Amino acid sequence: MGNGLLKDIWVLSKRSVLTTLRSPFSFIPNLLISTFFLLVYDSGLSGISQLPAFEGANYLAFILPVSVVSAAIGGAGGAGQGIVKDIENGFFSRLLLTPASRLSIVLGPIIAGMLQLFVQTILILIVAFLMGLEVATGFLGVLVVLLLAVGWGLAFAGYSAGIALKTKNAQAAQAGTLIFFPLIFLSTTFVPYELIESSWLKVAATINPTTYIFESMRTVLIDGWKFWGIAKGIIAITIACAITITFAAVSAKKAVSRG
Amino acid sequence: MVKGTIYVEHLSKTFKKGNVQAVKDVSFAVEEGEFFAFLGPNGAGKSTTVQIVTTLISPSAGKVYVAEQDVLTNPKEVREHIGVALQETGIDPSLTGREMLHLQCRIFGFTNQQAKSRTNELLEVVQLSQAADRICGNYSGGMRRRLDLALTLVNKPKILFLDEPTTGLDPSNRKSIWDYLERLNKEEGTTIFLTTQYLEEADTLADRISIIDDGEIVATGTPQELKAQIGNDIIAMTFENEGEAEKAEAAITQHMPDADYVKNTTELNIYVQDGAKRLMEIVRLLDQQDLAAQTINVNTPTLDDIFLKITAEGERKRGEVEHG
Ligand SMILES: Nc1ncnc2c1ncn2[C@@H]1O[C@H](COP(=O)(O)OP(=O)(O)OP(=O)(O)O)[C@@H](O)[C@H]1O
Ligand SMILES: [Mg+2]
Repeated sequence: MGNGLLKDIWVLSKRSVLTTLRSPFSFIPNLLISTFFLLVYDSGLSGISQLPAFEGANYLAFILPVSVVSAAIGGAGGAGQGIVKDIENGFFSRLLLTPASRLSIVLGPIIAGMLQLFVQTILILIVAFLMGLEVATGFLGVLVVLLLAVGWGLAFAGYSAGIALKTKNAQAAQAGTLIFFPLIFLSTTFVPYELIESSWLKVAATINPTTYIFESMRTVLIDGWKFWGIAKGIIAITIACAITITFAAVSAKKAVSRG
Repeated sequence: MVKGTIYVEHLSKTFKKGNVQAVKDVSFAVEEGEFFAFLGPNGAGKSTTVQIVTTLISPSAGKVYVAEQDVLTNPKEVREHIGVALQETGIDPSLTGREMLHLQCRIFGFTNQQAKSRTNELLEVVQLSQAADRICGNYSGGMRRRLDLALTLVNKPKILFLDEPTTGLDPSNRKSIWDYLERLNKEEGTTIFLTTQYLEEADTLADRISIIDDGEIVATGTPQELKAQIGNDIIAMTFENEGEAEKAEAAITQHMPDADYVKNTTELNIYVQDGAKRLMEIVRLLDQQDLAAQTINVNTPTLDDIFLKITAEGERKRGEVEHG
């Protein structure tokens, strides 16, 4: 009786995907908002790309990472919401009473969240291509953007799952997702780093890992294969994932037992 | 230790939150194939005990072995051998009944084919075949309970834990769950640990009962032993008002020091060996005091009476401790 870790993860992720698909309103608004961002920012702000700091870059390529990353962060919050729902309707306890590994119980919703981001990001990229996106590094570059988005989403899914398990409370988990705003907006969101005026925003942008994700994506989309520019984002994602998934696993252990 | 047993020694649990001592030095053992009931009022510590014994929360002190395994060091092995229906059902409301059961089968290591046939089998058992493909978020309370019970049976557990499995069910649903549990216990030899607030339920189903009150086991025995423990008969009286009942209580204390009694607002229950004979004595005593009972009955005890008496004694003891 019982399974290996991989089968547990497979079975439980499948269930989380099914649960997500059954409540489309948990992801459709987020998808619409991100696409809306892309349209509005591109048509409203594209004029500023005439400034010399943009070095002639297309504003659509510059703003696309904002749309992709905000969709990723917004969507990843779903992992935590899913866990809170499971705790509230007692299903989480039922899972804990089975021999399934504790890690797979946490990874199920996180992986489902990640798949959701994967599909979301592809849809946003399609919209961007319809709007005339050109990518400096071609198809491989698009794949890199996709992986960066999913990686950053994974880190954030770990964070939201951790908060959910720690607080076991829908409101608290919802409040935890407010970190979305500083993460997205205290960064090189609308203009390159050199154009940020206020020094506090410069500091915030420097310590905000999202800045490095933006930088990686923009390197791929606009500048081409530049190793260091791309590596920064990957490093930021690796560190963030290590921290947040450890946080989730530790919170799960505590939520599981030792009440 | 025999497989299929539950063994609990000096178990205590204090919740840090609110500093509640939910379980206090509880010890008991359940034999293989036994049907054991934990009977107690709200807040007695029944669910806390179930959650500890089933690996969900950890004890503050004490030893717990289930299916020969220590729940603290080998929780995974324990989980493979048990089926648990907690007080709150554990169902994902966005799945259908069939999907829930299939998922549970897969988690317990069944192949797709095995899971399919086990699912159909269990749907039949709990009479949910008709509703199997409906989203279980739309099930009625009774249907949810039945699905929850089916989920706990997926792995054909040798030991079954059921925390108030029939609370909130109508009489016909309750009866069908009782029948099913009796069959599981008698025919398959499943060891069952059941908690309940209903004396009738414990009386009907259990081989042995522990009465738990305020975190402590206050009595243990077969239903017959527990009934014998409180004497042969109960003289049950009701009075017009509480004042009368109090006067009667005072008279009994003074003139019949050997009698055991429980007063509950306008009711007074006296426990005696020879009901008919003592009845005359009591009527005479009340008459002398100018008291008249509205109703008097002589009954042989039911578990309800035992429960009332034992929990009332607990209250009295606690009262004494608090007041000096
Ligand atoms: N997680 C918790 N944190 C703090 N106190 C708790 C917790 N769970 C239970 N308690 C307290 O422990 C005591 C025993 O509760 P428990 O749920 O075990 O009672 P019960 O016998 O199952 O009652 P009921 O018949 O109402 O289900 C109660 O005083 C309860 O308030
Ligand atoms: Mg309870």
